[in-house]
Amino acid sequence: MLKVENLSISFQTDEGMITPVQNVSFAVQAGRTLGIVGESGSGKSVSTKALMKLLPGNSRVSDEARMTYTDKAGREVRIDQLRPKGRDIRRLRGGEIGMIFQEPMASFSPVYTIGNQMIEAIRLHQKVTKKEARAQAIAMLDKVGISNPVGRVDQYPHEMSGGMRQRAMIALALAARPALLIADEPTTALDVTIQAQVLELMADLQRDLGMGMIFITHDLGVIAQVAQDVAVMYLGTIVESGPTADVIRNPRHPYTQGLLKAIPSLDALHDRLSPVPGDIPSPNERPTGCPFHTRCSQRLQGLCDQQLPPTVPLGPNRSVACWLETPEHRTGAEVDAQQQIKQQEPAQ
Amino acid sequence: MLRFTLERLIGMVITMALVSVMVFLIMEIPPGDYADRYAFRKYSGTGVNVTEADIQAIRADLGLDKPMMLRYFDWIGGIVLRGDFGQAFAFETSVVKVIGDKGWLTLGILFATLLVTYLVSIPVGIFAAVRRASAMDYGLTIFSYLGLALPNFLLALVLLYFANRWFGADIGGLFSDQYADAPWSLAKVWDMIKHLWLPAVVLAWSAVAYQIQTVRATMSDELNKLSVTVARARGVPETKLLIKYPARLAINPIVSTIGFDVNRIFSELPIVAVVLGLTELGELLLRAYLDLDMYVAGAILLLLTFTIVFMNFVSDLLLAWLDPRIKLGA
Amino acid sequence: MTDVTPETTPTKLTAEERRRQKFYSASQWTLIWWRFRRHKAAMVAAMILAVMAISGLFAEVVAPYGPTTRDAKYLDGAPQIPMFCDQNGCSMRPFVHGVSTKRDPVTLRAVSVPDPDKRVYVHFFAKGEANHILGVIPNTRHLFLLDDPKAKLHLWGTDDLGRDVFSRTIYATRVSLSIGVLGVMISFVLALIIGGVAGYAGGVLDSVIQRVTEVIRVVPIIPLYMGLAAAMPKEWSTTQVYFAMTLILGLFGWPTLARRIRSQLLSIRNEDYVVAARLAGARPARIIGRHMLPSFTSFIIVDLVISFPYMILSETALSFVGLGLRPPTVSWGVLLQQAQSVRVIEQTPWLFIPAIFVVVAVLAFTVIGDGLRDAADPYSDSH
Repeated sequence: MLKVENLSISFQTDEGMITPVQNVSFAVQAGRTLGIVGESGSGKSVSTKALMKLLPGNSRVSDEARMTYTDKAGREVRIDQLRPKGRDIRRLRGGEIGMIFQEPMASFSPVYTIGNQMIEAIRLHQKVTKKEARAQAIAMLDKVGISNPVGRVDQYPHEMSGGMRQRAMIALALAARPALLIADEPTTALDVTIQAQVLELMADLQRDLGMGMIFITHDLGVIAQVAQDVAVMYLGTIVESGPTADVIRNPRHPYTQGLLKAIPSLDALHDRLSPVPGDIPSPNERPTGCPFHTRCSQRLQGLCDQQLPPTVPLGPNRSVACWLETPEHRTGAEVDAQQQIKQQEPAQ
Repeated sequence: MLRFTLERLIGMVITMALVSVMVFLIMEIPPGDYADRYAFRKYSGTGVNVTEADIQAIRADLGLDKPMMLRYFDWIGGIVLRGDFGQAFAFETSVVKVIGDKGWLTLGILFATLLVTYLVSIPVGIFAAVRRASAMDYGLTIFSYLGLALPNFLLALVLLYFANRWFGADIGGLFSDQYADAPWSLAKVWDMIKHLWLPAVVLAWSAVAYQIQTVRATMSDELNKLSVTVARARGVPETKLLIKYPARLAINPIVSTIGFDVNRIFSELPIVAVVLGLTELGELLLRAYLDLDMYVAGAILLLLTFTIVFMNFVSDLLLAWLDPRIKLGA
Repeated sequence: MTDVTPETTPTKLTAEERRRQKFYSASQWTLIWWRFRRHKAAMVAAMILAVMAISGLFAEVVAPYGPTTRDAKYLDGAPQIPMFCDQNGCSMRPFVHGVSTKRDPVTLRAVSVPDPDKRVYVHFFAKGEANHILGVIPNTRHLFLLDDPKAKLHLWGTDDLGRDVFSRTIYATRVSLSIGVLGVMISFVLALIIGGVAGYAGGVLDSVIQRVTEVIRVVPIIPLYMGLAAAMPKEWSTTQVYFAMTLILGLFGWPTLARRIRSQLLSIRNEDYVVAARLAGARPARIIGRHMLPSFTSFIIVDLVISFPYMILSETALSFVGLGLRPPTVSWGVLLQQAQSVRVIEQTPWLFIPAIFVVVAVLAFTVIGDGLRDAADPYSDSH
């Protein structure tokens, strides 16, 4: 239902041009969830904002980018060709594509009730009376598991608890029944127990409403719970993508491997976690060649730091962008890499 | 809400009581007392030789020989219980008569000024925030500096000069000559409105300069809030978005500083009145000070300050009504 | 420039690194000065203000004539601009045309008419009226004078009594600026004491002081000043009135600053280093002065600078309506008393020149205040 190809986004800043997203392609199928995972600064939020044309004025989306969305009526819409303040994109916003953000408190305007903001969303996209919209809003609050929705609909955001606000935020995004939901780190600000509840709720809602979903997080563990497909982003590029089960069971990119090692698990309580070494470089000090080579233990000197790796298809819907996976390096590199790992282990 | 209102009401009464003490002290400062000045005024130039005993008699007559505490309670009691502000000896009548309907004229000027201030500063401040770093934005910064630096009497003179050149001589004051002493009528009110714009513009000048900056700063903050992006992400059209979300919050600091604006306007009023030839409380206050007519001065100072305190109260209530978060935090 | 390894000795630092080292080891005040220096508008404002202050300080030298010296031959006279050329040719030394008095045939009033054939030359640091600089150092030299002792150069014209507007404005600059300085100093001391007590003691004392501050803030300030100024006895000397004015302005200028000091003190009252000082047995005055105040001195300075405009504007306003300083003292406000009507704009607009000084001084203080605020803000972008 959504296809993004060759998306690059750059910003004009005081320090010059930076490009937080470079040549990104992904697709979302109706009824399925695409998880986008990456550290902060990897460009995952920026790319989804581009889908809604919510980027600030100093940004530029590359001319080669194609963003094709198939709406509820089955028509294809080229999002990249819409004007950012036009009527067509407004029809998509909220009505076709809903969005949830990280901070539920800041997402609501503090001076209007939850109901006011939900009714606004409903009436922007459906020709209904205020009364009908209000009934729909109450029904949606009920659906996201808010008790006493009739009373809650007239409450202000500051009158709710954190978990409840998050549920209200989901209700607000779903109020106008979008076909695609973009959730930008929706559970990061929550306690672990509430986080689990919200994840379960979102999975249920997606099934009930038959929505497509893009779920952004920095936590690969969360992805495993909600997403059927995953794209791993690093410094503005997708380094690995594929069905979630495949990617987790058999990670091919060194970065994905690193992320997986950083997840605590009950099976390996006595092992020390090994985080990916080093810091993510700032976007204006972007390394040449493979963006990950500065932190990669398996880098090929003279290649990875010089040339951008190609995207290597590994099967249907499965690909990785790494020199080690190219046919020329595949065999030798595997051996090399394993040797390198062996050499490093005693040292640690 | 009721509890909030009640709390603010009590606060207002306490402040007013303290203000009245302060005003009374100021009335007491000039050397010599009321009786001295009364005798001096009454008999100077008449050739009558005033003795200390005569003054004592006047003093006793007016109750001025009582201790200060008692005199304060006499004074404030008269005001609160009977609406009696004492004697205006320079006019040889009661303060209430001297003040007359000047109080209403002053309120007229005040509200005209506030109207001009907010009608200009709110839209311009919002516009400046939306169009950051444009030529207009820089122009406004310069204007704001000038608004703070230009003494208002100078501005009054300059505007008066141009008004005279463009609209003819009959522009100063609050009324045309034929209406000055006429009884109130619709024509007189209309005449006043025609004269009101000049003092309103002069008095609003610095407030506008100040408030544009406030609105612009708040609006810039609000524009960057996540809630605005979220509202945009649900398809709210741009103009409606601006008005309903950031602009709605950008007027809060204006509402919360109504009292300061009234204070500023009343502070400038006596000076501007001199230049523009206004006949309201500011001008009367200045004359009373120059004549050391302290009961008149005290009454006016009290009325002006009470208006400010009351407007502070109104602004508290308005803000609580505009911003649902306040009632909870109060 | 090329091989800078971490082992390099300090003597081998590159220029860039030396600059950085200097930056990291610079004191707070050096940093503020560096940042302030880059604020161009504020630097210009500071220079303008310095010129004003110096001319005011040495008014006896800068002004060609005394503030009350009259020129009966040139009443309500227009500014005379020194020139280098006229119809009779050019000269290296600037000159003005001499004036002769004629009677207006219609109104029969005496009017001054410049005589285009009579040149009077301008001399610099020439001998003229004897006076005492700041009332102490005897002086006869003046910045500029005309070579003919009978003729006077009125750079910015004269008033109705033939007094030189330029000289009067320079003397007024001294009075107005010094009133501002004294007024700010008095209100600073009061704010320090009141805000310090409120912020350090807290509790009941704090609430009482807060109430009183609230009451003073709610009374319109100019009418309040007027009430106090009106109470000054008419028979007071000009010196007494001058000091009474500074006292009045200072007396009610403190609430804003006191609030700032109080809130800052309250916020750092329970910091570890303050508690440590208290446990060590330091007296409150020492704790406030040595340990607490230095942490926000820069903010206090900014507040002091931006409170100057209010002092200057208040003095001007009060003197303008006749409730402040009185002639023969000259301040900007006193001078502007002569410019109360539209008629002045039409006939003798040069009497408004002191108003330019007011506007420029207030603007300068405001711009410097903004520059200092930016410079003192540790979070502002620095390198």
